[in-house]
Amino acid sequence: MASSSSKDVILGIAGKELRSFLGNPTGYVFLTLFIALCAGAAFWPREFFDRNLADLATLNRQMPLILMLFVPAITMTLWADERRAGTDELLLTLPVRDTEVVLGKFLGAVGVLSIGLAFSLANVGVLAYLGEPDVGLMFSTFLGYWLMGTLFVAVGMIGSLLTTNVTVAFVLGVLGCAAFALAQSVAIGGGVIGVALLAGLAALGWLVAFGSGIHAGYAALFGAVLGVVLWIGDVVPGFTGLFQAFDAPSHFASFGEGVIRLGDVVFFAGGTAVALYLCGLLLSRRHW
Amino acid sequence: MTTHESNSSRSVTIRAENLSKIYGDFAALHSVTFQVRKGTVAAFLGPNGAGKSTTMKILTGYLAPTAGRAEVLGFDPTHPDQRIEMAQRLGYLPENGPLYADMTPRETLEFVGRIRGLGSGLRSAIERVTRQCSIAEVFDKPVGKLSKGFRQRVGMAQALLHDPEVLILDEPTSGLDPLQIRDVRELIRELGRTKTILLSTHILQEVEAVASEVIVVGEGRLVFSGTLDELRAGGTVEQRFYALMDQKRRKEAA
Repeated sequence: MASSSSKDVILGIAGKELRSFLGNPTGYVFLTLFIALCAGAAFWPREFFDRNLADLATLNRQMPLILMLFVPAITMTLWADERRAGTDELLLTLPVRDTEVVLGKFLGAVGVLSIGLAFSLANVGVLAYLGEPDVGLMFSTFLGYWLMGTLFVAVGMIGSLLTTNVTVAFVLGVLGCAAFALAQSVAIGGGVIGVALLAGLAALGWLVAFGSGIHAGYAALFGAVLGVVLWIGDVVPGFTGLFQAFDAPSHFASFGEGVIRLGDVVFFAGGTAVALYLCGLLLSRRHW
Repeated sequence: MTTHESNSSRSVTIRAENLSKIYGDFAALHSVTFQVRKGTVAAFLGPNGAGKSTTMKILTGYLAPTAGRAEVLGFDPTHPDQRIEMAQRLGYLPENGPLYADMTPRETLEFVGRIRGLGSGLRSAIERVTRQCSIAEVFDKPVGKLSKGFRQRVGMAQALLHDPEVLILDEPTSGLDPLQIRDVRELIRELGRTKTILLSTHILQEVEAVASEVIVVGEGRLVFSGTLDELRAGGTVEQRFYALMDQKRRKEAA
């Protein structure tokens, strides 16, 4: 009996997702918007010309917000559409493991993100025309964009797994990414992340303790209420500050200055791994 | 295991033992037990909402049972590694034949074939199922633009692509016109000569047209399990089905 390797399965699913996005006019609209927004954010502000430096500092400030909107547009259909059409049943009854499906879809979405970023390299071309951009700085900057984008892809996938409605999946994805993009710059950002994490931990704790997800929602609600009490009630001083450490722009900052810090790479890669693990957990809830 | 037990175990391809599936306070399946012997076409008969699709989702490993045990070709669908081995030998047509609307039948079969690791045999496998399911004329049209009949046939084609030993078909003739129904039944009869098939239906004539074994469920409970001749003893399939359902209702009311 024929069998396929994990690599074949993952790449097969990734290829399908990539073709599905690029075979759809909406996909090109999102890509064009992304490229236009990146170019606008890089060169529209007067500050770019005032500074007279061949770097992307102006784009760096806006990139978390651009990715916060662009990435959920990629991920919104990944699961929501699949479950709405019932094709998840077809896919998950093929000889595939849940982890392979999650990784395949993740890689497909990362592929679209990478294409978007590859096109936005045109901005570096403009810099090269205007001045002499530092190659190392450009490399670290784009690596930072890509790492932040992959974290947002994994977070957006969680949003898509929570609903069968594509629009709701987009909104949930934006909210999830916004928590990371605005954790420090918006006063409530850290608090929202704290509440979401406590809710998630309570649900996970329930699952581990009782092995059943039927009432995990109540546990999540309890965790969320606890988080709100700790945050709004100021029961734990510095509750918000604690979770401001999840601020993606802060972890990106060094990449934008040409420095690749291991701690920042671990933050993005680790956050992505945790979010993908949660995707696997959410996918397995059909068995509960 | 004794020789007798071993032979007996081999002759059963699909086995459900006290399968239950409970969602909160609602029991979609309640301790359902049946078996399908190798090389037979078994019809899973019951009204809408009887638990047919839930049972099939459990047998294919899409859902896990709340209690009880399922076994297909000796593999446990709830065990991750065994489920993979089982899925390599099993073809499944889910209810309503869900397919990717933006893909053509060619792309769908190529995708499924790649996932199944058919490699160099993929081209001939696609040619075989295209012929078997008569989908050549719509081969390069997006699935989303096909009629329900063609979509169902593409669904059948993907289930047959790897020439599986076992087929589980959830309402394979649902939504088809009379001519298409006749074609699909003919295909099932032909496939039934070499494969074990479990198909669900709520159409009584379908049972007589294709099946040799029958499992009847109602409101999540097993009502009958046996051969078609045993079901027909003392009446037609229709008369016996209604009698079984009435008997079940009376028992529950008492």
